[in-house]
Amino acid sequence: MKGTRTSLSQIDTIIGSLLMILALVASSFIVIIAAFITIRGILPFITDNSGLGSVNVLQFLTNTVWLRGTTFLSTAYGAGFIIINTLYIAFLTVLLSFPIGVLTALFIAKVAPRPIAATMRTIIELLASIPSIVFGLVGVGLFLPVIYNIARAMGYSSGGGSSVIATVFVLSLMSIPTITAVAEVSIRQVDESLEQASLALGASPTQTRFKITLLAAKSGIFSGAILAVGRSLGEATAVALVSGNARSGPSFGLFETTATITSTLLQGLKETNGIDYDIRFSLGILLMVVILTTNLALNFIKRKVGNVHG
Amino acid sequence: MEKVIETQELSLNYGDFNALANVNLPIYRNKVTALIGPSGCGKSTFLRCLNRMNDLIDNVKVEGIIRFNGEPVQGVGVDVIELRKKVGMVFQKPNPFPMSIFDNVAYGPRQQGVKNKDKLKEIVEKALKQAALYGEVKDRMNESATRLSGGQQQRLCIARALAMEPEVLLMDEPTSALDPMATQRIEELIEELKKDYTIVIVTHSMQQAARISDNTAFFLLGEIIEFGLTSEIFANPRDKRTEDYITGRFG
Repeated sequence: MKGTRTSLSQIDTIIGSLLMILALVASSFIVIIAAFITIRGILPFITDNSGLGSVNVLQFLTNTVWLRGTTFLSTAYGAGFIIINTLYIAFLTVLLSFPIGVLTALFIAKVAPRPIAATMRTIIELLASIPSIVFGLVGVGLFLPVIYNIARAMGYSSGGGSSVIATVFVLSLMSIPTITAVAEVSIRQVDESLEQASLALGASPTQTRFKITLLAAKSGIFSGAILAVGRSLGEATAVALVSGNARSGPSFGLFETTATITSTLLQGLKETNGIDYDIRFSLGILLMVVILTTNLALNFIKRKVGNVHG
Repeated sequence: MEKVIETQELSLNYGDFNALANVNLPIYRNKVTALIGPSGCGKSTFLRCLNRMNDLIDNVKVEGIIRFNGEPVQGVGVDVIELRKKVGMVFQKPNPFPMSIFDNVAYGPRQQGVKNKDKLKEIVEKALKQAALYGEVKDRMNESATRLSGGQQQRLCIARALAMEPEVLLMDEPTSALDPMATQRIEELIEELKKDYTIVIVTHSMQQAARISDNTAFFLLGEIIEFGLTSEIFANPRDKRTEDYITGRFG
């Protein structure tokens, strides 16, 4: 008996160490990636870029034109408008996709008859797994011509349809399945006895769904929104296809062309070198910082909201 | 004695399963009626017929007559919301909403369109006082209800139901999740509440039925075996099966 116990505890120790090593490897990748991007991205600001002079950090963070002067000869890069564009587009995307996603989830979880709910759940899961480039293609092939014609009919010029609104639509299409899937799970997990209590108090089923079910599921619903924001901030290919890759901004008008951190980073990355190449790593730092701060802020809000009466 | 609720030849089926058969039961005003019987005997199902909570379950078929103040409870055209306003319910497990103490009690009236702040405050205070909880929570009305103890939560749920000013209060094993002290407080509260309300309580505890109820109905396999004054049922059960159950020989 004693021997068995010893060998069992030895296995425990070995498995424990193995798991720890794996965890260390996984987490060290994050550190390595962050360090690599940071070191590469910082070069344009601290070296003289082969005699061109270094990029001014403050101007980079605040300027409203991507590059003043000639490519490869100028260091006057500016990404201020790109940061604002990125946050603005993420905000509009959540504004559009959050209510649609949550209400769809509520319908699937609480209103739809069982066979319809099951079908819709499958469709949502499929949609969530479609690669982003496909959404980009739909954007280019379907949204851009329509938006172009609408903009023209309304007297706006729209760069062939590439615009803020096209970007927001494509990102919303991508975000809605994620929000719906996450929200639906948390809505289904709501304690039924809360809903019964509401109905027993003479509240209608609709009042119960909006006032009790959504309230009790708010933590999970908020997690879905955080995922959607993350996707909007980080998506590159689909955005590059429909944003118009504006070189100056910020773009607040819905029919204006725009550019986000990711789309600017991606645009022409493999066809350039020197400072024009290095500066994209600086955009990489910006992207990491923006996503990290947004996530921290949203998680802080989530804790605040969740704690009120959770 | 005035009957508030009365059922005649009430039967209920879940699909093929017969949960209630030929139940005839009067519920008298300002009395406590206890429904006792072993698990699965249909006592909770019966309780849920009285405010039509069984509507929420698929495949339920109810036959027979249920009258509340002489009006039918079943059937198309009956306003379920009106019925539930008059027939409140307290559940087995305390289930406060994840909101403040005040908002929990104000929830029912608010759904009926009461918006006036002073009016709501008055309703909430009255209901909390009736539920013997006001003194404990009056200084923390905006705190989360989920932070209250189990017994306090259940009294809050009673206050929440009372805020609708119902005539009847249905209680589905309201103390089964509570400790003896909290149970005693709820029992004292029921004594107090029957002055103004009619109470129907499902309980697993024979002692509880004996302590707090005026009338008792003994359910077995979906039928009422015996109904009468609690004192008589516990002292002189007419049916052998009732005697076996209350003396603890089964169940």
